[in-house]
Amino acid sequence: MTSFEELSELSFEIIAAVGTARSDYIEAIQEAKAGHFDEAHRLVDAGAEEYLKGHHAHLNLIQQEAAGERTDMCLLLTHAEDQLMSAEGFGILADEFIDLYERLSKDEKSQQGEMIEERTA
Amino acid sequence: MKKIVLLCSAGMSTSLLVNKMRGAAKKQGYECSIDAYPIRSASEHGKDADIVLLGPQVRFQLRKLTQDLSCPVEAIDPMTYGRMDGEALLKKVREVLGD
Repeated sequence: MTSFEELSELSFEIIAAVGTARSDYIEAIQEAKAGHFDEAHRLVDAGAEEYLKGHHAHLNLIQQEAAGERTDMCLLLTHAEDQLMSAEGFGILADEFIDLYERLSKDEKSQQGEMIEERTA
Repeated sequence: MKKIVLLCSAGMSTSLLVNKMRGAAKKQGYECSIDAYPIRSASEHGKDADIVLLGPQVRFQLRKLTQDLSCPVEAIDPMTYGRMDGEALLKKVREVLGD
């Protein structure tokens, strides 16, 4: 059985990884908003990498339980799972938001192009 | 006495790190207060702090808080956070504050 001490350490490991991922994803949206799309994509990739670390730590626990080794629940682990879900949601949203800002940026550019064409015509 | 404030989304996970930091501070004889709060109360608890430390899950607020608060605002290194390494974090604080 996983001891309380081990479970706390594991929970912190998950929180640190997925918490970093969550911040990466939110910063990615902020960068896309500022028109920095390369940086936005880089942050989404970095976030996905960190998220995986947390996901694997959590998956190990689930597999242990499936193999018959009981894990005593503690509030910190619940909190870690909460953070995991939050990060997952922000990952999906970050992709959608970047897509949207990229489309907006393209539309703005083509509109500006049309205006220049009209003026020079 | 230095006032150290840790912020995360709920002030829950960081409160455990606070305990580790307090232990490290006691061992070093470093006089300070160390407390954890939710990020929502950043302006209330950060206004008279000497340093504010952000958990990895709220690191994206770094730029905004650096503008809003007069004290140094630092993001906690995810490795330090994941290992609940209170000693390493206190070392970082003392480096930034220069004592």
